[in-house]
Amino acid sequence: MKSKPNSKSVIVTKNVKKWFGDFQALDGISMDIKEKEVVVICGPSGSGKSTFIRCLNRLEQHQEGDVFVNGIELTNDLKNIDAVRSEIGMVFQSFNLFPHLTVIQNITLAPIWVRKKTRTEAEEKAMELLERVGIPEQAEKFPGQLSGGQQQRVAIARALAMEPKIMLFDEPTSALDPEMIKEVLDVMKDLAQAGMTMIVVTHEMGFAKEVCDRVIFFDEGKLVEENNPEDFFNNPKSDRTKLFLSQIL
Amino acid sequence: MKSIQNTQLRWVRDNLFSSIGSTILTLITGYMVITAYRGTVGFIFSPMRQWPAITYNMQLYMIFNYMEEESWRAWASVGVALILAGITLGYWNKGEKKSFNQIVAGLFKTFSTLSVLVLLSPSETEVMHNDGSREMVQVISSNQRMNFLIPIAVVTLLSFLLSRFSITRAFNKTKVVLFYLSFPVALGWIIKVPTITFDAAGERIEPDLFLPVATTTTIPWTILYVVLWVSFFVGQFLQKKEIKSLKRTIPLSWFVLPLYLFSWLYKKPVVELDKVLMNDIPGVLIFSVIGFLIIQYITDERFSKYRNYLAAGFFATTAAILFLRIPFLFKVLTFSVVLLLLVAPAIANTKEGKRQLLIVWLVVIAVLAFLLRGSGSPTGIITPTGSFLGGFSLTWVLAIFGTYVSFPFGVLLALGRTSSLPLIRIICTGIIEIVRSVPYITWLFFASVMMTVFMPEGVEFNLIIRVLIVTAFFSGAYFAENIRGGLQSISKGQYDAANAIGMNAFQRIFLVVLPQALRAVVPTLVGSVITAFKDSSLVAIIGLFDTLRIATSVVPTQSNPVNFVGTQLDNLLFIALFYWMFCFTFSRRSMKIEKKLGLGER
Repeated sequence: MKSKPNSKSVIVTKNVKKWFGDFQALDGISMDIKEKEVVVICGPSGSGKSTFIRCLNRLEQHQEGDVFVNGIELTNDLKNIDAVRSEIGMVFQSFNLFPHLTVIQNITLAPIWVRKKTRTEAEEKAMELLERVGIPEQAEKFPGQLSGGQQQRVAIARALAMEPKIMLFDEPTSALDPEMIKEVLDVMKDLAQAGMTMIVVTHEMGFAKEVCDRVIFFDEGKLVEENNPEDFFNNPKSDRTKLFLSQIL
Repeated sequence: MKSIQNTQLRWVRDNLFSSIGSTILTLITGYMVITAYRGTVGFIFSPMRQWPAITYNMQLYMIFNYMEEESWRAWASVGVALILAGITLGYWNKGEKKSFNQIVAGLFKTFSTLSVLVLLSPSETEVMHNDGSREMVQVISSNQRMNFLIPIAVVTLLSFLLSRFSITRAFNKTKVVLFYLSFPVALGWIIKVPTITFDAAGERIEPDLFLPVATTTTIPWTILYVVLWVSFFVGQFLQKKEIKSLKRTIPLSWFVLPLYLFSWLYKKPVVELDKVLMNDIPGVLIFSVIGFLIIQYITDERFSKYRNYLAAGFFATTAAILFLRIPFLFKVLTFSVVLLLLVAPAIANTKEGKRQLLIVWLVVIAVLAFLLRGSGSPTGIITPTGSFLGGFSLTWVLAIFGTYVSFPFGVLLALGRTSSLPLIRIICTGIIEIVRSVPYITWLFFASVMMTVFMPEGVEFNLIIRVLIVTAFFSGAYFAENIRGGLQSISKGQYDAANAIGMNAFQRIFLVVLPQALRAVVPTLVGSVITAFKDSSLVAIIGLFDTLRIATSVVPTQSNPVNFVGTQLDNLLFIALFYWMFCFTFSRRSMKIEKKLGLGER
């Protein structure tokens, strides 16, 4: 059921390095992500996977190397950063919804202010997206009144409202109760099947096996292994990957 | 209604008489409360009290020695405020309804309580004469008691009877509140207040007579009441017409209103035409052109590179010309250009954005020029104390400036202090720390004695404006620290989320961070508002006549035409009630706002 990745590259990173003080978080990551590809990044905590995807939309700044998104290089130029951010949607581990706004206001905020859409236009689109993530009846509620799974689905709808070409997921299910994980994963599967380019940091190996095109394993800021899901889970190349898989599977 | 009475009875049983111990406690506290109440009423109605000191001097309390023939300006100021209030109420009316039964139940509750209070009031009280002898004197005659009781009982009975019918009609909540306001206005025509009268020879007539409230009070209030209703309907009409632009205009008008009242309507500035022609009009024209050029070319590749240097340049110019002898307007507008340069790239990135920003800029500089001309010109109100504000008007102006002129200032300071630009951060931290570490009274002395030394030659503000500047800085610094607390409570995730959906710094702060930060600090902000209101009485120290000073040293020293010497107690009681009334209203409003914002729920 996987959509065939197209040959066009949308994200290219070359030898990306980043330090937090003396601690090196990323050590020479080079990667090439094609259009409509679904990539899962996994690895132990502190391996730099969240830092890496946060570098892709400049929530963190890399100190060495190059990051190109849709051919635009990420530098300190605010114009480039804005251009890249409007192409990339992001979903966080802790949802980060705006608690002072209702669900529908959360979703329409950026389309109205950043994309300069009219309110009615933005609201129609928002309702469509809420329909897609399965919670149109919660539109007028505040985030605090929703369950974790519902909040995360709102967060996905909020990211989609900007009509991004790429979606980044930073451990989207880690803060959820087990029974809510499924509802969020289902939404993500739908997205993947609809042909969205996705980069997902997750420990949900079921999702990786079922949906993704490529699994990337990080350890200590290095890209240790890059493989298709079958080979990754059945005969991993590196010992470090074997050890990791034996611990979580 | 029956079920309501039953639940009330049950409440009484469960909460007041649930056990023997609580019954005893209830009886003891009940006795204490009733005794205290009877004592207070006896004190208030005692013949020893000199309430005429207040009713007779109400004008002193309100506007002090403002010129009699210009006193219409005071009424007009209230009127303009009420027009805006009415339009706001009408325009923002959500159409919340209050059912007839609720209204009647409310009336029944209020008036049945009132009738109990009237029945419980004492008929005589003990007074102490100067020689130390004590005597019981009558305070409320049975005749007076009946005069109170009959109308109250009639309303109680009527509301009780009406509650028996199940009438399903409902009324607009705001209209009900406006209707209730008619009670005090109507009472003005009915009740009589203790007044002092003179006979033909100019001698005070004893005993003092109760006279109707003067028509110079009742007629304006009645007109104002009608004005409020009319503007309410105008507001509703505008709401029906769906005039969207008012949504932004009304809050801004509330911001400009006190400045306008203060610098034009109430102040009556004597404007010199040549200054308008030589300063204001050229200033507005020059800065219109500068603003137009900035807005037009801010997004231009060749120009946008130099934006930060330009902003720094204008900022340095502001600092440099601050003490030069050029019109104040130019200094303010130079600084506004800095703000424009910071804001423009975020808004003027589309054709529509450019157009809107240009309109805003033109309106802002025109309004600034207008207000500065008013506040910079000498007042046409001649008073013996040299200040056109006094009493209630002074307290109110100080309270307003101490709150919502200094509030945006505080927001800016707080944002500046948390800014990542070192220069802005150091300046803002410096202002906050310097202002906060010096007592308010010292700042007041600074305003009254030293500030003129710092002012360039030819620039002269009168004392009140100097006090207002100091007050704006002082409460601004306190607001800033409160708001900074709120800003720190915002998690990093909120910034990430705002960045990830492509917001620029301006949108991030004003749409995501500030609304949450302000919400988190509403209780402390209201605390600051109340403090600013009460602190306004400190201006008495530097020779201004605020409400408190009038109560303590103006009214009790009056001996001509009526002798009020020694009436301090009554005046202080009135002032206490006055401060309590406003502070209590503030705190009630803040509780409502907190509830509306859902504080503590999320």
